[in-house]
Amino acid sequence: MISKILIANRGEIALRVIYACKEMGIKTVAVHSEADRDALHVRYADEDVCIGPAVSRQSYLSISSIIAAAEITGADAIHPGYGFLAENAHFAEIASECRLTFIGPSPQAIRLMGDKAKARETAKNAGVPILPGSDGPVKTFGEAHDVAREIGFPVILKASAGGGGRGMRICGNELDLQSAFEAARSEAERAFGSADVYIEKYLERPRHIEIQVFGDTYGRVVALGERDCSIQRRHQKLIEESPSPALTPELRAEMSAAAVMLCEAVNYVNAGTIEFLFQDGRFFFMEMNTRIQVEHPVTEEVTGIDLVKEQIRVASGEPLSVPRGDFRLRGHAMEFRINAEDPRTFAPNPGKIREFHVPGGPGVRVDTAAYRDYVVPPHYDSLIAKLIVKGKDRAEAIARGRRALELFIVEGVKTSIPLHRAITDDPRFLSGDFSTRFMESFNW
Amino acid sequence: MNLKEILELIDKVADSGIAAVEVEQAGTRLRIEGKLAPPQQVIHAAPSAMPMTMPVAHSAAPAAAEAAPAAPAAEIDSEAGLHIITSPIVGTFYRSPNPESEAYASVGDHISKGKVLCIVEAMKLMNEIESDIDGTVVRIYPQNGQPVEYGEKLFAVRL
Repeated sequence: MISKILIANRGEIALRVIYACKEMGIKTVAVHSEADRDALHVRYADEDVCIGPAVSRQSYLSISSIIAAAEITGADAIHPGYGFLAENAHFAEIASECRLTFIGPSPQAIRLMGDKAKARETAKNAGVPILPGSDGPVKTFGEAHDVAREIGFPVILKASAGGGGRGMRICGNELDLQSAFEAARSEAERAFGSADVYIEKYLERPRHIEIQVFGDTYGRVVALGERDCSIQRRHQKLIEESPSPALTPELRAEMSAAAVMLCEAVNYVNAGTIEFLFQDGRFFFMEMNTRIQVEHPVTEEVTGIDLVKEQIRVASGEPLSVPRGDFRLRGHAMEFRINAEDPRTFAPNPGKIREFHVPGGPGVRVDTAAYRDYVVPPHYDSLIAKLIVKGKDRAEAIARGRRALELFIVEGVKTSIPLHRAITDDPRFLSGDFSTRFMESFNW
Repeated sequence: MNLKEILELIDKVADSGIAAVEVEQAGTRLRIEGKLAPPQQVIHAAPSAMPMTMPVAHSAAPAAAEAAPAAPAAEIDSEAGLHIITSPIVGTFYRSPNPESEAYASVGDHISKGKVLCIVEAMKLMNEIESDIDGTVVRIYPQNGQPVEYGEKLFAVRL
């Protein structure tokens, strides 16, 4: 059994893991950079270790420093959170070599699903629908051109090692493809260390719908419903909700079955997410995230399952606690990501938070590591809080979201709260009929 | 709180004209009195007197708290003019290459730039920490075998 967990992360997710540990009677070790000395995860953990300077490469991304911190504190497990080293197979490998339990999937699963082209092939072999496209990377323009002609324009070029919306190019015709191909390759090389790109059919109005999956070490895999993350800007999610307004129970069951099939094909253990594109009643595998996700609370709210505690239990070798048999989502949950950024230009806006009031009341949950007088450091991502609301149906969830956003007060830094308030008043958003291109035409 | 922050606070108190202010942070209690008393009085609480809301900042290195008890105000002055060598990595501090051999450096030793002063072990790797300056060792902060954090003070050197 795990008795002390080192949390290789910062911000709200580090706190989220601390909460789970406290409830389970597990000791915690926070690691932090010099810029995070006053961070809440440092204050609330049982122990803390400064592992490096502000720059992530020398602190939160430094595998040796994090392992050393685990050694000197006697931690027996590491929770990677999301981002940073969460999907680094090498880190997971080193951790287990140092007899530390990595709270996540096996290095093999991370490696396999982390490579987009390989993941696509794995999905195809497992019988999961994929978008028409190239089998693996395309090495030359000629090859790319042939594939594009076969599947028809528009197509999208994606970096094999990419993620988070980076390294993608949409090509409407042959000319676009010609100019984008080499650029996409060199961009991928610079950003991800591999020039490999592959081609897929580009959908014009897809929804982003993902299935939360969970596997245990006894070979059982469950799907825990979906999250609709179609409200995004520049491939960064803004609002996530569950259930999706677009899915019927039949479609949900189909997507869940496909997600479980894929996990079983790679012997997937612990929490993961299978992302699909959905359009006109059809769904296509996009990618898998081999970690707990930012938007996991949405699933927690509609399933009643504490996903982080489940992660720790499964990593300890326990079977999944999810009951067998019929699985139903209860009510409707929605998450609004509150970033310290200009809500119009999306430029990050780090600085001191002078006033911070968090809304409460029925159906409202706020996951945050911010507080009054907290200084949002410029070195890390701009997420300062997640507002999660739950209602008996979508209308009630939105009504709660609207009033909670109204009572959420942050002064000193600009935030995305005004943007969220505008979105929750938008007729198209209220109708539930929108695609990932919602923000492109959203005016306020 | 570092010296700079304390000095800033003193200025603020002097400017504002308030009688006294008390600050408690990470096990350090600081009281600054305005007109009535001498302009400053720095009291550091012992680690045991820390309030519940502020867990021990260096709990990863409990020995550190014992080895360097309640740094008095005088220590801040005593470090003035000294060069402090800090740990470039997190790990375990060793003063010698193995338990049998002599320490790389002791208080009073004259050291020159590039001399190995200690080892910080991280992930079974023995990282030799070299001096970045010429001078005399006047203080060694951690105990042998003690865990150290990134940026933790290791040696004070008089130039």
